[in-house]
Amino acid sequence: MPSVTINSPDLHKEGPVLEVHFLIPLELEKKYKEEGKEVPVPVIVKALIDTGASNCVVKKEIPEQLKLEPTGIIKINTPSSKEHECYQYFMRMLIPAHGLTYQGPFIGAPLDGQEISGLVGRDLLKHSILIYIGYMNQFTLSIA
Amino acid sequence: MEKKLDTEIKIYEENKQNLLKSDRGKFVLIKGNLIIGTYDTYDDAVKVGIDKFGNKPFLVKQILEVEITGNFTSNLIACLP
Repeated sequence: MPSVTINSPDLHKEGPVLEVHFLIPLELEKKYKEEGKEVPVPVIVKALIDTGASNCVVKKEIPEQLKLEPTGIIKINTPSSKEHECYQYFMRMLIPAHGLTYQGPFIGAPLDGQEISGLVGRDLLKHSILIYIGYMNQFTLSIA
Repeated sequence: MEKKLDTEIKIYEENKQNLLKSDRGKFVLIKGNLIIGTYDTYDDAVKVGIDKFGNKPFLVKQILEVEITGNFTSNLIACLP
């Protein structure tokens, strides 16, 4: 199972943050290549592993940069709002240096604070093992 | 102004009771006014959608009596309009 281990300077302050690449889905990339269309370049951002998030989230500008169209609408509850509708996009997330790859729905929403552009939620984590060693400022994420 | 997937959501709601009888728990693929099919997994439905429609909006929705809402316990998602 591919995995990545991050040693953070201050895991308590920073949280379990990863650099990830967002791309269009593999099937769409294949279709673009067959049709001779330009494949959008990956968007490289920081994402926070958030076990309090039921779903993966990306800043809504990311699917816009990838020129992706939505494949769903989902209602979300946050501490400050209830049953707000957001678009979902089928996207690919990679950590290329470690061979980690995940394809699935990502909610497009405004993200605030900590210079992150994505949340890794429990829909991705259900395919994963997450080890968080606070006193060592280290965490490991493996994706099946 | 019509939002993306408004038509597809409307078609889903109009057909929801019939879909629940025949395909509860499965994932329906809808494009415009057409129900394309139902599939066992989300991934299966999306892949059919991409194959047929490329990068055009289409709806993949799990057929459930009660909608599942996404829950976020931190304040990282900014105030929504």
